[in-house]
Amino acid sequence: MQGSLTVKIAALALWALLLFAPFLFQDVRQIEVAARICVFIALVASYDLLIGYTGIVSFAHTMFFGFGAYGAAIALKQMGPGWTPVLLGAVSGAVVAAVIAAFIGLLSLRVKAIFFAMITLAAASVALVLASQLSGFTGGEDGMTYRAPDLFKPATKLLTDADGKVLNVLGVRMNGKLAAYYFVFIASALLFWAMLRIVGSPLGTVLKAIRENEARAEGIGYRVVAYRTAVFVIAAVTASLAGTVYAVWLKYTGPETALSFDIMIDILLMVVIGGIGTMWGAVIGATALVLAQYYLRDLMEVAAGATANVPLVPELLSPERWLLWLGILFILLVYFFPAGIAGTLMGKREAE
Amino acid sequence: MTHPSLSTRDLTIRFGGHVAVNRVTCDFRPGELTVIVGPNGAGKTTYFNMISGQLVPTEGQVLKDGVDLTRMPASLRARHGVGRAFQLTNLFPRLSVLENIRLAVQAQTGDGRRFFRPVGKFTELTARAERYLEATKLDRVAHLPASALPHGDQRKLEVALLMAMEPDIYMFDEPTAGMSHDHAPDVLELIAEIKHDKSKTVLLVEHKMDVVRRLADRIIVLHNGELIADGAPGEVMDSQLVRDVYLGNAGEMA
Repeated sequence: MQGSLTVKIAALALWALLLFAPFLFQDVRQIEVAARICVFIALVASYDLLIGYTGIVSFAHTMFFGFGAYGAAIALKQMGPGWTPVLLGAVSGAVVAAVIAAFIGLLSLRVKAIFFAMITLAAASVALVLASQLSGFTGGEDGMTYRAPDLFKPATKLLTDADGKVLNVLGVRMNGKLAAYYFVFIASALLFWAMLRIVGSPLGTVLKAIRENEARAEGIGYRVVAYRTAVFVIAAVTASLAGTVYAVWLKYTGPETALSFDIMIDILLMVVIGGIGTMWGAVIGATALVLAQYYLRDLMEVAAGATANVPLVPELLSPERWLLWLGILFILLVYFFPAGIAGTLMGKREAE
Repeated sequence: MTHPSLSTRDLTIRFGGHVAVNRVTCDFRPGELTVIVGPNGAGKTTYFNMISGQLVPTEGQVLKDGVDLTRMPASLRARHGVGRAFQLTNLFPRLSVLENIRLAVQAQTGDGRRFFRPVGKFTELTARAERYLEATKLDRVAHLPASALPHGDQRKLEVALLMAMEPDIYMFDEPTAGMSHDHAPDVLELIAEIKHDKSKTVLLVEHKMDVVRRLADRIIVLHNGELIADGAPGEVMDSQLVRDVYLGNAGEMA
């Protein structure tokens, strides 16, 4: 129990950092990183609901993320900035995600896990190809840029001083950029909270029971296929909503940011780093990987500079080898935290 | 005589050319504990699987209170009141003992579909689950994961899980398998209690003769997938046919 508490406190501390991020980190890139962490926490949490709690392996999570992103992007592009297109995009993305998830689920959740995973992989490939090919509609390979609702424009003044200029609070300008960040933060936090509620509900216990012993869950009266399909739909809709949020934040949507398999790999890495089936691990996993992706290179540049006089070492630490080091870090992490950071901490302490 | 609660009509299953269960017609009544005996490979577990829904018969019917269960999935049969415990311990190993039982309770109440309220707020569910834990003396280990229990307690949990489903038909497949002599009586005591409730129908697959003698109201004998004897314990066990079947099988009933 002590381990769970440590993990929860750590995750809440990360949330607190994200809450005050605009005040703590004022650089544009840092806020970009904070927003990406928020969105990925929601995305990874919804994926953990599938893989960790129910034991469903899906590779279509980016596809659902993409539905929400493209829904908002297309609506904003066609209708111009405003809340109506955001809402319309969110709803249509979520509906498409729900329908396709239900269809895939009912059709193929009866088959063995490996076949289901292959089917989701195929569906995700189709979505990626379609988005790249239907360039008139989706912007093709180049994607789309559009404007977010006026509230989020950097020129928007949330608070003004006596002269009508943007007010500074603790050195932070109360402008639209700040509003956009808090939109991302609140939406992601709500989605994460919803995932926590689900795993803590009676349904959550049923999902764990299905993961543990599918035949027995069926035997005591649960329609396993129906429950699996339902959870697949819930996760898909959540991913889609996270996609909408990210699209509004980036003001750009393309295959790279919303549909590529790189995102799927990131989600998988985050869920493994955080700890499968821990939910709170999503916060830790998403934070760790996003930070590594953005800052490992900088860190290595510093390290290479510091070791400039030592033979060979600066070569190894050269910033362009950052992926190699990310890989090494990942291997070490899996070695020392076989159940992920949160999972290992929770499991170890409870066994004592 | 009371109406049968459970019946099988010409129940048959073939695996390729092999007939595992062959035209078994039998009625089971409330308040009656029927022990199903027979040598290994006689088709006892296969017969059970067709009643509880793990297998779909090639021919024949399973009826419960007149409802045709033959092609229903196991989950629906469970909701129609057919509860089954398994020969090998078949629990949710990483969930706590309490969660195991609560799962069976909430399957009954339909609360398994509630997805937003924390489980802790369903005090009625927990209270019901705790009653079964007390009845089976598992309340002291309620918060341990099922996999941490000793084998004997896991078998008890298996029975508790079945009781929490509140079925009309209780099906036990060798409930004391692998249990030491010290622990087996606890489980048998529980089954005896279930039997006292005259509204319940109990089916039991069992090899151990002392168990059969103690609990059986009626014995049916399966041999090569066919029902070859059916009657009161004394008369079935004394019949020449049954002796022949068992003597040919290294005296399993000894």
